[in-house]
Amino acid sequence: MAHFIAILLDEKRLDALKGTGLEEKISDLFGGALKALNIEVPEDAEKWIMEAFTSSRIDTRGAITDLPIAFNRVLFEEIVKHKSIGKEVFDSVLARADEIKKAAAKESSYLPPPDVDLSDIEKLQKKPYQTA
Amino acid sequence: MLKIERPLPHGGRLVERVVRNPELAKKMAKGCPVYDIKPTLHFETGVPVRNVYREIMSICYGFFSPVEGSMTQAEVERILKERRLLNDWVFPYPLVFDISEEDYKKLGVTSGDRVLLRLKGEPFAVLDVEEVWRIDDPEELAHKTFGTPEDNPEVVRQRFDKKHPGWVIYRSLNPVVLAGKYTIINEPKFKPPFDRFWYPPKKSREEYDKRGWRTVINHQTRNVPHVGHEFLMKDAAFMGDIEPCHGIQVNAIIGVKRRGDYPDEAIVEGHEMLHLAGYIKPERHLVTICLWDMRYGNPLESILHGIIRQNMGCTHHMFGRDHAAVGEYYDMYATQILWGKGIPSFGFPAPITDVPYGLQIRPQNMAEFWYCPKCGEIAYSGTCNHTKEKQKFSGSFVRGMVAEGVFPPKVIFRPEVYKVIVKWWKKFGYPFCNEEYVKKKEKELEVDLPHMEI
Repeated sequence: MAHFIAILLDEKRLDALKGTGLEEKISDLFGGALKALNIEVPEDAEKWIMEAFTSSRIDTRGAITDLPIAFNRVLFEEIVKHKSIGKEVFDSVLARADEIKKAAAKESSYLPPPDVDLSDIEKLQKKPYQTA
Repeated sequence: MLKIERPLPHGGRLVERVVRNPELAKKMAKGCPVYDIKPTLHFETGVPVRNVYREIMSICYGFFSPVEGSMTQAEVERILKERRLLNDWVFPYPLVFDISEEDYKKLGVTSGDRVLLRLKGEPFAVLDVEEVWRIDDPEELAHKTFGTPEDNPEVVRQRFDKKHPGWVIYRSLNPVVLAGKYTIINEPKFKPPFDRFWYPPKKSREEYDKRGWRTVINHQTRNVPHVGHEFLMKDAAFMGDIEPCHGIQVNAIIGVKRRGDYPDEAIVEGHEMLHLAGYIKPERHLVTICLWDMRYGNPLESILHGIIRQNMGCTHHMFGRDHAAVGEYYDMYATQILWGKGIPSFGFPAPITDVPYGLQIRPQNMAEFWYCPKCGEIAYSGTCNHTKEKQKFSGSFVRGMVAEGVFPPKVIFRPEVYKVIVKWWKKFGYPFCNEEYVKKKEKELEVDLPHMEI
């Protein structure tokens, strides 16, 4: 059975897909609360991925997960460039293997945190309690 | 009698080996040879995989009652054969104070001697040596600890190896074991945020009394709770006796974790946020910790979890699929098999609550929760029949979403809980445990020790 990679789509990525013809391939997750592009992975690319990234695994849905963020980023860039989710996308991704591996190595020690306002939880945590 | 009463501690009485009188403590330690506690290092990479101080704390404060110290050779052999202590009470794992041959020579102690154990340069505990013995083959010990497909065909699916963090702990032990009872003589002080979650068994039982809790269900965790966890806790708590359980206790295991787990700080504060933000009433929710470097031993780990939580006073314990598991070494339902019908090859021909000297805490074996878009709710897999539409809470999927910096929808994470992850992500520069986090944590530990002159 072919496995797949689910690329999560935030607003920026959804915008990038506009006009590529891939909009119809976008699927809803969690009742539409999340959008994703499920990309079937060719056998040779899967072999390469599993060997190159030891953290990667196949979950109970048949999805290849725990991939470096850098891999997902490059994969998405190539999808937009090719306007496709076919085999040629993976050929282009594999051609950028060195770039991905270098970025992935850095990811093991640092990932930039998202810019999220924490003031509401700071207020709640000011006087934490275990009972009312 | 339909009403369930709080169980006795495992072994009949709570162990508490903590001396709080400083003068007595100094007297006990005076003139003893001194040993500075060191972390156990990975046998190949040298990365810390365990710190025995956590076991000493959990033993002396009674979480592991009736265990009182580092085990003798005969006790370890009985555990590996029958999963029982020499006094017949069920116990899953060997617990030993191991040191190198070099340190043993320097220390120059033998049975009958007392050793002063220092932590972070300060007196911490004493060990009264009853026996000195040697681990001849740590690899064999590691295999026997977790079982093999040949010896335990009911539940062990593949031979353990260095990819399994618990196996690595036993494989990395030093060769000389000092067996004997521990006594803490200088109580460590927990650092925030851990200090407010420290409820050792005596204190947790007092807390239940204060809250009027007769029935308490425990949730084992090594995760920041997503909404699936939250519904597991809420729904499992409907089990009680004539009414749902009075209390939902979360007991987080604090210690060395595998890469990709969340930092301990985010785990405890994430659970606490469920009551701070009102998703569970604080009157019904207690977040607690236990120090232990997880062995990820699925059914065996569930025995330890049952012991810890029974000692804390819980009446019920939730067990899900792949409980405390990593990889596919065990059957995914191994824990539920143990609590449902027993595992003869591990010494349990009947459920672990039905064997002599077994446990009294009641299992609540649960299947999984998923999001069902058709029901429009978090649904129990044993109830919801929309198996095609279901959306599973895959841990790796959720981690991937977090790592990509995507703000999760509220059907996956409560926004306040997700923000706790971000809070600690900003502090550590990483949302999950990585090598830097583990090294820093093992250097600083969760506690500080007051200065004590001996």
